[in-house]
Amino acid sequence: MKAILHLIEHDFRNFFRYKWWLAGLISMNLADLLIMAVVYDRMLSPEIAEQIKSYFSFFAPGVTVVGLFASAFMIGREINMEVRRQIHHYMLSLPITRLELALGRLLAGGLRGMMYMTPLLLTTFLIIGFPSLPQLFIILGALFLLATGISGVSIAAAVSISSFEKFITVRGLIYYVLFFCSSIFYPLSLIQTLGQEGIMPQPLVVLAELNPLSNGANLIRAFLLGNPPFAFDMIRNLVVFSAIFVTAATIAYMKIIEQK
Amino acid sequence: MLLVIERDLRRFIQFKFIIILRTIWFAAQVAFFGLIASRMVVPELADIYFEFYVAGVVIMMLYSASVFIGYDIFEEAEHGVFEYLLSLPVSRKELVLGRSIGGGIRSFILVGPIIAITLFIIGLANPLNLLVAFSALFLFAFGISGMSITIAVTLKSGDRFDIFMGVLSALIVRLSTAMYPQAFVQDANQAYAAFSQFNPVTYASDLFRWGTGIERYLTMSPMPLAAIIGIVIFFFIFTFVGVTFYEKRLEGGGWQ
Repeated sequence: MKAILHLIEHDFRNFFRYKWWLAGLISMNLADLLIMAVVYDRMLSPEIAEQIKSYFSFFAPGVTVVGLFASAFMIGREINMEVRRQIHHYMLSLPITRLELALGRLLAGGLRGMMYMTPLLLTTFLIIGFPSLPQLFIILGALFLLATGISGVSIAAAVSISSFEKFITVRGLIYYVLFFCSSIFYPLSLIQTLGQEGIMPQPLVVLAELNPLSNGANLIRAFLLGNPPFAFDMIRNLVVFSAIFVTAATIAYMKIIEQK
Repeated sequence: MLLVIERDLRRFIQFKFIIILRTIWFAAQVAFFGLIASRMVVPELADIYFEFYVAGVVIMMLYSASVFIGYDIFEEAEHGVFEYLLSLPVSRKELVLGRSIGGGIRSFILVGPIIAITLFIIGLANPLNLLVAFSALFLFAFGISGMSITIAVTLKSGDRFDIFMGVLSALIVRLSTAMYPQAFVQDANQAYAAFSQFNPVTYASDLFRWGTGIERYLTMSPMPLAAIIGIVIFFFIFTFVGVTFYEKRLEGGGWQ
């Protein structure tokens, strides 16, 4: 356990080295919320306005999840760099078991995402309203699962791809597909309608429904806005996502850093 | 100067992954955001919003590709390529102008296939209008490259440049009509509308939409003159400010 704490401390120290990057990310998230969402609020059709009330309130949980995703994914970039520069040889020489090494990096990635996301979540609470204490614990627990799962996806990608350029390309693909094929920017019902009309292929509709970013954003909306209504499926989907990618990343990290 | 332009074009082709990434971004913007958001907006906008948005995405791509030249300058400074460039029998002015024009042309090469796909989606109402719009968009791309060079040589730190350009891009794109018509920006916030009214991304978006025949919800009037004047002013300011700054910083290791 102590070894894991050391690894988390190491990764947090690294995280603060990217203060410029973090400032840029926060600015972009805030620009999305304070400019884009404010304008879209005036563009909503009456049917959608009736469903989500205000785009600004609807988008605030979405931008929180976007921030969480981007910051939790950063651990992959660092691990990919370590593998390319063979710094993992040093990591392997430390008196830390492989499992502790893998779990420490995963947890650090998830916790960094949670830390970055906190001001965005607080802004969301200030805009929409505060949840009850049990709801707050459920939101934080669910977002931690999401952050750890995302950290797992990024670590699995980072150790499987040796070229930095390929890693950046794969990261872009994951980012764009998960961001846009989700309920971050628009209600899930719109994607489902496009699916029923045959405009959006069914596999993409299913991806949007199971997308952990959709489930994370909708869970916050369920407690703060009441729409969509809370469903246990949201938590179940996040648990499954997190379990799959934490396991995959742990195995991949342990196997691959020893092979190289 | 032609050699400087050719060098920048060759360097850009090496960044294949950026071209792939930008293509994925365009596909996601069009196939998801454009398509779904067009179902979310008011009925009077819904019938053209998809085409309106796709045209805006092209301008966003042109902007981000033109900005890329600034990152090249930092990489060269880090690897000591500046000294080599200064030793060449090329004047400082030719070097900067060549880089600005090279940056603009290569962004058009990147966006070219995307423009072709966009024209296939939107259709082409008047080829002459499109030709006029393209000519002005070249100036827009050169101007953005000049702006990126100016900021790169002014800030001198790669980290600061990265963050500054990130924030600037976030603001310049969102406070423009690339994603939404000016009428709705005006309705949302007067200050946003004031920024949007004097934004080169707004001029470029208007021109491209006018060129492709999407003439509803244009910001500038009379078109295309007002937007062209805006872009020409922007181009002159940043190209010549960029030349002056770059020239001064290059001497005596001022970029370090």
